[in-house]
Parts: sequence; structure tokens; C-alpha cells
Amino acid sequence: MDWQGIFHGFVTVLQPENILFVMFGGFLGTIVGMLPGLGPATAIAVLIPVTFGMDPTSALIFMATIYYGAMYGGSLSSILINTPGDGSAVAATFDGYQMAKQGRAGPAIAITAIGSLIGGAVAVIGFMVLAKPLASFALQFGPAEYFLLMLFTLSAVVALSTGNLVKGFISMGFGLMLSTIGIDLQTGVYRFTFDNVFLSDGIDFLVIIIGVYAIGEVLYNYLTIDKPAGKKTKYGRVWITKDDWKRSKWPIFRSSPLGFLVGILPGAGGSIASMMAYSTEKQLSKKPERFGKGAIEGLAAPETANNSAAVGAFVPLLTMGIPGSGTTAIMLGALIMLGINPGPLLFESDPNMVWSLVDALFLGNIFLFLINIYMVRVFVKVLDIPSKILYPIILVLAFIGAYTMNYAIIDFYILIIFGVIGLFMKLYDFPIAPLVLALIVGSQMEQNFRKSIVASDGSLDIFVGSPIAIVLLILTILSLIYPLIMNVRRKKWEAKTDEQSSL
Amino acid sequence: MGRLIVPSVCILISIFYFIYTINLPKAKLGDPNAPMYFPLIISIFLFIMSVIYFIKELLKHYPKKEEVKLLFKGRAPVLIISTLIISLIYAFIFERIGYLASTILYMLAILFIVNGRNKWLVNLSVAVLFSVGSWYVFYHLLDVSLP
Repeated sequence: MDWQGIFHGFVTVLQPENILFVMFGGFLGTIVGMLPGLGPATAIAVLIPVTFGMDPTSALIFMATIYYGAMYGGSLSSILINTPGDGSAVAATFDGYQMAKQGRAGPAIAITAIGSLIGGAVAVIGFMVLAKPLASFALQFGPAEYFLLMLFTLSAVVALSTGNLVKGFISMGFGLMLSTIGIDLQTGVYRFTFDNVFLSDGIDFLVIIIGVYAIGEVLYNYLTIDKPAGKKTKYGRVWITKDDWKRSKWPIFRSSPLGFLVGILPGAGGSIASMMAYSTEKQLSKKPERFGKGAIEGLAAPETANNSAAVGAFVPLLTMGIPGSGTTAIMLGALIMLGINPGPLLFESDPNMVWSLVDALFLGNIFLFLINIYMVRVFVKVLDIPSKILYPIILVLAFIGAYTMNYAIIDFYILIIFGVIGLFMKLYDFPIAPLVLALIVGSQMEQNFRKSIVASDGSLDIFVGSPIAIVLLILTILSLIYPLIMNVRRKKWEAKTDEQSSL
Repeated sequence: MGRLIVPSVCILISIFYFIYTINLPKAKLGDPNAPMYFPLIISIFLFIMSVIYFIKELLKHYPKKEEVKLLFKGRAPVLIISTLIISLIYAFIFERIGYLASTILYMLAILFIVNGRNKWLVNLSVAVLFSVGSWYVFYHLLDVSLP
């Protein structure tokens, strides 16, 4: 472990302005994460303009704590009004809301904070141990390996995203297509610009992201705007009993490394980590029938796993420059905009930034734990604000975000167009993460593909030319076969269930 | 047959992208066709996936999704179309009359539609306070240049 780097990181994070960013980011992230339907991806997307004017390290710290805060916020709305902010908070509704209905919202919020704190801390230690060796390993990657790594990431994101595989690939295809708009970096040829000078640098991917996530989300929420809001449950003292801890401690300690490892995998992320942790604990439990009826361990496990997965997702992002999810893709986009190029060389060129981020996650976790225990009453007030007032605010934040990218009005029109596209993608179950990820890595993917072809004199053999390349190719194929196998298994299981019920 | 509209649009986009790709200008440096290889792969891939999607939709028989039905029910269509039109007007006036005035008008318009006319005092307060507050934060505290 790079103890010196970790120490210097703490020195940076403990500077007053960075402490302020940790607190501010955590606070804002929690509030946005609590809003129904809005998760960490939207929180970061609409709050990007706030990072302008910050130095890159502070901006990274700020965004990471927004991400973390949004995870906490999502859990609060899951527990109190049975409305998860995003996929990774869904598992919290199973037992969290049941606990709240039984008058145990206080212990539910407390165990969420405790589990998240421990999960986050274990994952930060995991990051410290794994990141440097992984970054050194990534230095062996040439263009062909990078191309295959991106291909694997995209196929894994498609395979593991909600909706069907074909729609996931169409979404990915559109993302790659959009990434080709603008001047070709190697030859200077104008591609798909329709003779429009504004398109010569391509469409700013952050404008597209804000459009599909923020505007699309608001338009989508209009469909149910007049539906009565979930009834907020009451809560008492926000703490747990000895028995609660006894039941939760092992699920928390088991789910921490599980979540971290799942978070590292491309495409997996918090949703899958929390579901895996939930089902693992249910299988291990002596009383599985309690799950879904307000079992505290059924809440502790997924909430621990999703937070450690959030830290795990930073490993491929910072060591290889490959985001493993929609949220980390947005962070990568914001980092590129700030002039930072995440990847193995970042550990050599700017180790302080990496370790400051990791230490900020550690401190942010402690801060969020404290505010979630002691300031929960303030946050819960957010749930009283009618969504009819919040949506116009989100719309304006989205427009400010888009405008400040290039200070060009054309971005407003692009934002509106992609807002409508985002609405239809949601309506027709097209996963958005593959589009966002492809959009961001598309250009690099093409450059690496072309460099590989040039290096091999036009031969495709280069993509099986090294053990790393072969492994990545196999992983890509496996990630594509996996959903097909799962589909066949599900159909068999459904047929078996139908047979049994007809008997 | 309404459910075939989305896959058909996907097919058309992939064909359009393919035609545009093969008509891209030749590069003057290195391989003249280099700029078109990657887009060509994408267009073919997108076309194949869109055709599979089309066939799947054609063969499947299931009722229209509940959410898609909501798009044409109640206030939703009016809200969506109004928001889009008001947003386009906002884009048009943003640089002409400045951030503060345009944002107050934009928020007021959206709030009146979404939150109702009866709550005019709340709408007015939110529109003015948020617009002024955000302008102060971005312009003065974050040094973000706004018109």
C-alpha cells in the first residue's frame, strides 16, 4: 500500500475548503438522491456545473461525495416512502419499508447508515490494496487490449442492464454512433456534421447525458405526477438495539467484500451487488421466512453491499480509465472535461488526486453516517416538498448545466431533443447506461481499434495476439452468453412451475 | 402495428447512418477509407440488432405497455408538450433577455402548468427565489458566466 500517498491524500482532503466540499457534496447528494426516481447519475449530471471553478481534485472529491450522498438519500426514500431513488436502493424497500410500517423506521435508518459506513470503509481499504497493482498491470495494455477491455465493458453493461439484450445493444449502438460525430481525430475528416460548424467538435456528451437523465427523468415522471405520493412513515429514535446488531453484524461483514468485488466488475454496480447480498443472506439465514417482512438483516446486507460497490466502481475508473456503470461514466465525462485522464498513468502523474479521492470517500462516509443519524429530521423534510415544485427546479439546473459546457444555445436544443429520447427510452425499456457508456468510451474505442489495425498491418490477429487479449475476448463472449443461459434457465423454471401448478 | 414504429425508426436510422458513412469524404492522410471503418461496423451492427428487434416485436403478442398508455392519458401529454414548447421558448430568449429574467419567466410558466394556477403565490415565490438564488450561487460564488 502507498502509505505516503494515503497520508498526503488526507492532508489535501483535510484542507478546510475540501472538508466543506465533502460536507456540501454529501448533503446535496443525499437531498437529490431522496427525490423519487432520481439516483446518483442524475444527481451528478445536474450538479456538474457546481464543480466549475473548482480545482480538479476538489471537483473530484465533490462529485464522489455527491455519488455517495445520493446512495444514502435513495435508501431514506426507500425506507420511508417505499420509493427507491434508483436501482441500488430497490432492495432496501423489501425489508426497510416493512420495518418502517412496523414503527421501526428509526432502527432501519440507523442500520442503513451503520452498514453503509462499514461497507464503505472496507471497500476503501480494498481500493487501497488493489488499485496500485491493478494500475501497474494496466500499463501492459496496448491499443488492442484497451479496445477489447472497452468491448468487454460495453457487452457486460448491456448483459447486466435491465431490459432485453437486443435493446441494450441498440442503445449501445446509438451511443457509439453519436461518439463518431465531429472531426475525425486521426485524419481531420468531418463526419456526420451536416455542415454545421457547431457539430465539428462533436456533441458534448455531458449535454446528452444531462438530457437523457435529467430532462428525460422529469418528462417520464410527468406520467405519474398526479398519483398520490407515498405515505411517509413515522420514525422514533434513530438507533439500533443489541439484538438488531447481533442479527445484522455478520450480514454486514459478509456483504462488504461482496459488494466491493461486484462493484469492480464492469456493468454490475450497486443494483446487482445489493440484490446478490440480499439473496445470499436469505439463503444463509436460519429463518429465511422473515425476509421481506421487516428483517433487519435483510436491510443491512443490501445497504452495505451497494455502498461498498460504489467504492469498488472507482477501481476500474481510476486504474484503467474504464467506467463500469452509467454513474461512473458520467464522472469520467466530467473528469475529462476538467482535463483529467483517468488511467494507469494517473497514479504516476497525479497520485495525490487519486489518494485524495479515496480519503475523501472515507471521510465522506463518516460525515454521511453522522448526518444520517443526527440530521435525518432535516432530510425527511425534503420528502414534504411536492415534486411539482422540484421538477421545474431540476429542469432549470439541467439547462444551466448544458449552457455552461460550451456557452452555446445550440446545447439547449440538443438537451431538449435528448430529453425526449430519454423519455422514449424509458417508456420502451431501452437501458440508458449502455448509451452513456458507449458515448463516452466510443471515441477512445475507435482510436484504439484503428491504432491496433495500423500496428498489425490490417490483420485482425492482433486481437488474439496476447494472453490478456485472449482473456478479454473470452470474457466478452462469456458476458454475451450469460444472459442467454439465464434466459433458458428462467424459461425452464417457469415451465416447471406451470407444470407443478397445473397438477 | 403501433409497436413496430420504434424498431422501424431504429432500422431507418441505421440505414441512414450507413449511407452517410459510405459517402464520407476520403482521408488525405494514410488509408483514405480509415474514417469510415468504425462507423461502418456500428451501422451494420445497429441494423442487425434493429431487424432482430423488429422481428421480435412482430412475432410477440402482448398488450400495450401500461406506461405507454399513460403517455396519452390525463394531464401527461399536455404537460410534456407544454414543457417542451416552453423550453424551446426559453432557449430562444435565454441570451436575448438574460438568465435572470428568462429563468423567472420559464419557471413561472412551468410551475403554472405543473403546479396549477391556484398556487400562484407559491409558484411566484419559488420562481423568483430559485432564479435569484441560483444566479447568485453560479455567477458570484462559482464564477460561472451567465448572460
